[in-house]
Amino acid sequence: MSTKRWTQAGAVAAVAALLLAACGNGDGGGGGGTDGGGGGGGDGDTDDPIVIGVSLPLTGDFAEPGKGVQRGYETWVEMVNANGGLLGRQVELIVLDDASDPARVVSDYESLIAQEEVDLLFGPFSTRLVVPASRVASEYGMLFVEPAAAAPEVFENGFENIFYAAPAIASDHYNYLADYILAMPEDERPQTMAVTSMDDPFAQGTAYGLRDALVEAGVELVVDEVYPPNATDMSAIAAQIADADPDLLVGGSLYQDAVNLILALQQLNYQPRMVAFSTAPTNPEFPEAIGGAVDGILSPTGYSLTADWPSNAPFIEMHNEIHGMDPQEDEANGYTTGQVVQAAVEAVGCAEQGECQQQLIDWLHENSVEDTVVGPLGWDEAGRPDGAHMLLQYQEGEITIVLPEDAAQAELLYPKPEW
Amino acid sequence: MVSGALLFQSLILGLLLGGLYALLAAGLTLYFGIMRVVMLAHAAFIILSAYLAWWFSSVTGLDPMISLVGSVPLFYGIGYLLHRYLLSRLRPTTMTMMSVLLTFGIALAIEGLLGLVWTGTQRRINLPYGPTSISFLGAQIPVVQIISFGLAALSLGVLYLIMKRTQFGRSLRATIQHGQAAQLVGIDTTKVAGMGFGLGLATAAIGGAALSLQATIYPSLHWHWIGPLMAIIVVGGLGSIPGAAIAALALGTIRVLLEIPMGPTWAQTIFYVALFLTLMLRPQGFFGGRLAQRF
Repeated sequence: MSTKRWTQAGAVAAVAALLLAACGNGDGGGGGGTDGGGGGGGDGDTDDPIVIGVSLPLTGDFAEPGKGVQRGYETWVEMVNANGGLLGRQVELIVLDDASDPARVVSDYESLIAQEEVDLLFGPFSTRLVVPASRVASEYGMLFVEPAAAAPEVFENGFENIFYAAPAIASDHYNYLADYILAMPEDERPQTMAVTSMDDPFAQGTAYGLRDALVEAGVELVVDEVYPPNATDMSAIAAQIADADPDLLVGGSLYQDAVNLILALQQLNYQPRMVAFSTAPTNPEFPEAIGGAVDGILSPTGYSLTADWPSNAPFIEMHNEIHGMDPQEDEANGYTTGQVVQAAVEAVGCAEQGECQQQLIDWLHENSVEDTVVGPLGWDEAGRPDGAHMLLQYQEGEITIVLPEDAAQAELLYPKPEW
Repeated sequence: MVSGALLFQSLILGLLLGGLYALLAAGLTLYFGIMRVVMLAHAAFIILSAYLAWWFSSVTGLDPMISLVGSVPLFYGIGYLLHRYLLSRLRPTTMTMMSVLLTFGIALAIEGLLGLVWTGTQRRINLPYGPTSISFLGAQIPVVQIISFGLAALSLGVLYLIMKRTQFGRSLRATIQHGQAAQLVGIDTTKVAGMGFGLGLATAAIGGAALSLQATIYPSLHWHWIGPLMAIIVVGGLGSIPGAAIAALALGTIRVLLEIPMGPTWAQTIFYVALFLTLMLRPQGFFGGRLAQRF
């Protein structure tokens, strides 16, 4: 009996310790504003810095991309301050850690707006956090530009203050490829297609955007499979694809699923004439993981290191200076968020809470931002960007932009070389 | 309509996958047979071995299979010590329940360590023979799957011979069947059980290396394996190695074949459907496994 008591007591103590550890962790992260940022608020006093509040998932599920966005924000702040500030005032960033928790993100933004009295807001990372955060920002009438929520439901809440600072929502990622295929002579274009996607709103959004466009134009859909996010054995799906032998293979993938599927397809000697995967091919480890047989693989991307938009080269240089590495898409989207807000602030001439926020919102609805590191951006009434993602293709082992034509570095390779 | 070629190809892939399942499940059923231990950390050790194979291969550039020379004895030793100093100290009356808690903790610790040392990035070994396959009556048999199937057959064969033909195997089976009676005829059951546990963990080392050949690995992957493996050993009859092997081959093949009409998401439920049916119709398992009746 006493042993049992002790065991129970021990279990309770262990659970309590775990809870404490979890809280302690979060608080530690939460306190870390990058630039101190105690005093916010100013009413446009020219000596006060402009304070920008943001809550990011620096721990938890989205910690990796969250930190990427943070690097992008920091690079933008350095760049603005190095060039004389915003409206002649220096810019400060307050970063809170929401631990990837939708409840925390709400209280974070409420305290940023009400207690810290920040002048401007930037958005967090991922759909799960952007949706609750955008509701808070909307209640306070704050402009809310966000770097990373591409799922359709983000723009279906009737908020007019939200803007997605990237070229396109998920289902538009393949628009250039769809146009390219439909412009091909009918006897040359792919006649049959296979679509496989992870059971994930983003992955499915990308793949189904292209699938629906091509099926409507008469391309025959021979395989259409969805697999759970934990699937690592792709051989059964690969067998179905190899058996149907479609001309075009479209994968709604994140990373490991594409790697496993490609190797399984190679083992079954299936050679597509055209193949596209979302996200996975832009991962730096992708070429080695599939044994270098990358040539001809297509992927949509919102950002390219080699794109020659005017602000891109200075961004890459500054990012390397501060963080010692090339920016990826998350960093670029964070930086773009800064550029969009900057364009609105400079055009309207104010940066504070109150009426100014509505003017900024109105300006972004009426105008587009001509120069960002992902190209020109404009938005519809719900804040959806009106662009499409660039399409890149591995050619001789290098990532090369092939669509749209005005940004292309090479012609799209079709049919694809064997893998 | 589904073509004969696709069915044949899927059948082969299913059998090969089932072979891997059999190898991964063998240790699990052995632990339960030896001392009613529900070993939730088995899959975590499999992933640990897969990481060791990947790490060995990426550092030395040699074939990941060579890592088995070190990892098999290492895992045997870990298994022996784990049993001797942790599991054998649990009270026999609460053994099954407490072993769940203890091995759950071990699984978490291994996952955390893997994440700490090698981060959460997905890894896959880049093998020169990774994409190659052999043609067989119109179907393609991937070389890596042949290797892992061969490893499974070899290890299970050796395990079977050890259990049936050696003095140690007889002692181990005696310990499994009736611990006290085994002690009465002079078997040091604690030592034998420790060695049996080591043997089980050694199969995890081999299974992990086989797994690393054909899938990406990441620290939390083991949670996705432990469910199907538990289902396999219940269907096969707890404690029965041949039972686990037959159940693994059957369920692996059925899973792959079911993917054709049902898709991957529903096909993986076959493990749990089989688990429920077994518990309803034949709780002691379908092959051998008298043991489960007692629980």
